[in-house]
Amino acid sequence: MESLNLLAEGFQGALTPMNLLWVLVGCLLGTAVGVLPGLGSSMAVALLLPMTFALDPTAAFIMFAGVYFGGLFGDSTMGILMNTPGQGSAIASTFEGHKMALAGRAPQALATAAIGAFIGGMTASLLVVFLAPRLAELSAMFGPQEYFALALFAFVATSSVVADSAVKGLASLVIGLAIATVGIDAMSGVERFTLGAPQIFDGISLITVTVAILALGEVLHVASRLKRERNPRQVNVKGRPFLKRHELKEAAPAWARGTAIGLPFGVIPVGGSEVPTFMAYDLERRLDRRRKDPQFGKGAIRGLAAPEAAGNATTGTAMGALLALGLPVSSTAAIMLAAFQQYGLQPGPLLFERSTDLVWPLLASFFVAMVVLLILNLPFAPLWAKLLLIPKPYLYAGITVFCGLGVYATSGRIFDLILLLALALLGFAMRRYGVPLAPLMIGMVLGPLAESSLRDALLSSGGDWSILVSGPIPLVLYGVLLLILAITVRSKVVNRTRRDV
Amino acid sequence: MNSPSTETTSGPPWDTPPASSAESAAGQGRASEPGRGQGFLPGRSGLVIPLVLAGISTYLVYGMVTMTVPENTDFPGPRFYPMLLAIVGYVLAALLVLDVLRHPEKRDAEDAASYTFHSDWKAVAWLVGGFLLFALGIEFLGWIIAGALLFWCVARGVGSKRPVFDLSLALVFSSLIYLGFAVGLGLNLPSGLLGGL
Repeated sequence: MESLNLLAEGFQGALTPMNLLWVLVGCLLGTAVGVLPGLGSSMAVALLLPMTFALDPTAAFIMFAGVYFGGLFGDSTMGILMNTPGQGSAIASTFEGHKMALAGRAPQALATAAIGAFIGGMTASLLVVFLAPRLAELSAMFGPQEYFALALFAFVATSSVVADSAVKGLASLVIGLAIATVGIDAMSGVERFTLGAPQIFDGISLITVTVAILALGEVLHVASRLKRERNPRQVNVKGRPFLKRHELKEAAPAWARGTAIGLPFGVIPVGGSEVPTFMAYDLERRLDRRRKDPQFGKGAIRGLAAPEAAGNATTGTAMGALLALGLPVSSTAAIMLAAFQQYGLQPGPLLFERSTDLVWPLLASFFVAMVVLLILNLPFAPLWAKLLLIPKPYLYAGITVFCGLGVYATSGRIFDLILLLALALLGFAMRRYGVPLAPLMIGMVLGPLAESSLRDALLSSGGDWSILVSGPIPLVLYGVLLLILAITVRSKVVNRTRRDV
Repeated sequence: MNSPSTETTSGPPWDTPPASSAESAAGQGRASEPGRGQGFLPGRSGLVIPLVLAGISTYLVYGMVTMTVPENTDFPGPRFYPMLLAIVGYVLAALLVLDVLRHPEKRDAEDAASYTFHSDWKAVAWLVGGFLLFALGIEFLGWIIAGALLFWCVARGVGSKRPVFDLSLALVFSSLIYLGFAVGLGLNLPSGLLGGL
């Protein structure tokens, strides 16, 4: 009940005209970026990160939440209409969604996706309201070895489970961890890897890395292949954007199952919503095969409804894990964590104690964002498709200028602009050769925590490594990690032998 | 997920030359257009990634050697954690080199005309060059001119065919940003050359 009271207060904070405006701005921006082909919500949040210093924290996070969820909605719109999912999380819903659109049921497909995303997101937000404070209490008992286990868990899970190749994922992670070591060592005050350059005594700016890897690197990647890609064809949208009763009845169980699959993955760091969306899709396909009249392959409404619900459910609980544990499970969450650090806030147990005026309006704004997005997307999805009329040269030119603006405005130094370019080239090369970027971001954000907790633990034990596996929480975390790895290896072997997507 | 076309190439087990020759070859691999000719390099430009990783690990080692650490520091000192990273970095770089050597990217003969995954270096050069100009010129030229220059270069690189129209659009765009962010939000954007007018 205490949670409900706090949430009610949160709504009072979130429903001020100014904060409503930020939710709306965030939702509009997120949907717009999600709709543009090839761009995902992580890029939108990366471009907005430098703007944090111009806003107060509550407004900034409310806007970020809108962008985060909006990107997911917009992404699926384009996946359905043009078969061009912007992020991994939209791929699973593209299979059947695009087939529905090709079969002349585009508006119904868009409605199915929007409602699914709404149900998944709402359920997850509700769960977060009740569970996040408990989770935060649990993490108040964490010492250095627990935090190290948590960080290691996030590292290994994101870099080996999500990536196609575990070696590439780990390579990306090590690059991120190495970038995070530059600067003056917080524990001993020793200057590390700076070559005496005063610009990086405080470390390499997280904003510069984020904008470089997720925004400018992306632009370079898109530009390098733009002329050589075939132009995807867009399916026209005509007809009723609402679902009939029998369609609702058909989709409802899939929405529910998708949500149920998606919820736990927000807390399990396997790199965002890619894994649960595919699991939800797979489950629906298996159930479909048992029916008298299999729909999969012909535009099955369930094949779209389940992954959409799963994706947003994961995103919702992921925000809970971020707030309560300070544990980012995707690159977008990693950027949000970076934003908290910009304001000098550390997500985790203390955030719920000290910053209630920030946390609860933020949680309340999730609900507001869901409603706003449903309104923006259900009837107006075809309008969003008009964004594709912006000529690509101007779109990418504009994004590039914004990258430069953001980094120069926060640092005020030419040095950071050159660094931005160098890191963007790195990001470009990584994309080109299929090295995932999320592990780099998570390594960069959680690296300092991992190092300080490892050294704290070893210092307190006098160099005895067994302290890392002492106590119930680390043991449980390592056990779950081994379990996840075993399941991943098994499913990879199974997928190699049987592929019929 | 990013490049599905690279995943399907499970080539024949190539003879693996010693890693040292691969390292030196990778430097040239970046410059040469992938997929041209029949030599060793085509399809192996992916060596760039292990090269970068090995470079980072080497930089960490160099930093650890030159680091000045106070005498009485207890066991896990400032060198401890970077050392772990450097070791893991070298191991991963070696594994990646092996992977690239055994499975080079292959260009589909049928798909040769459409180049679905080879890079358009001209566009990248316009972007990088434009950004360098912007970065080096921002304080002297000022935000409006440098930003417009960047916009123009990127638009040109990505394929716009109307240079004069682009120039005016670029100036309008950068001026609007200056008005909105520098005048409106009070960000510190340099006025540069135009400041004296």
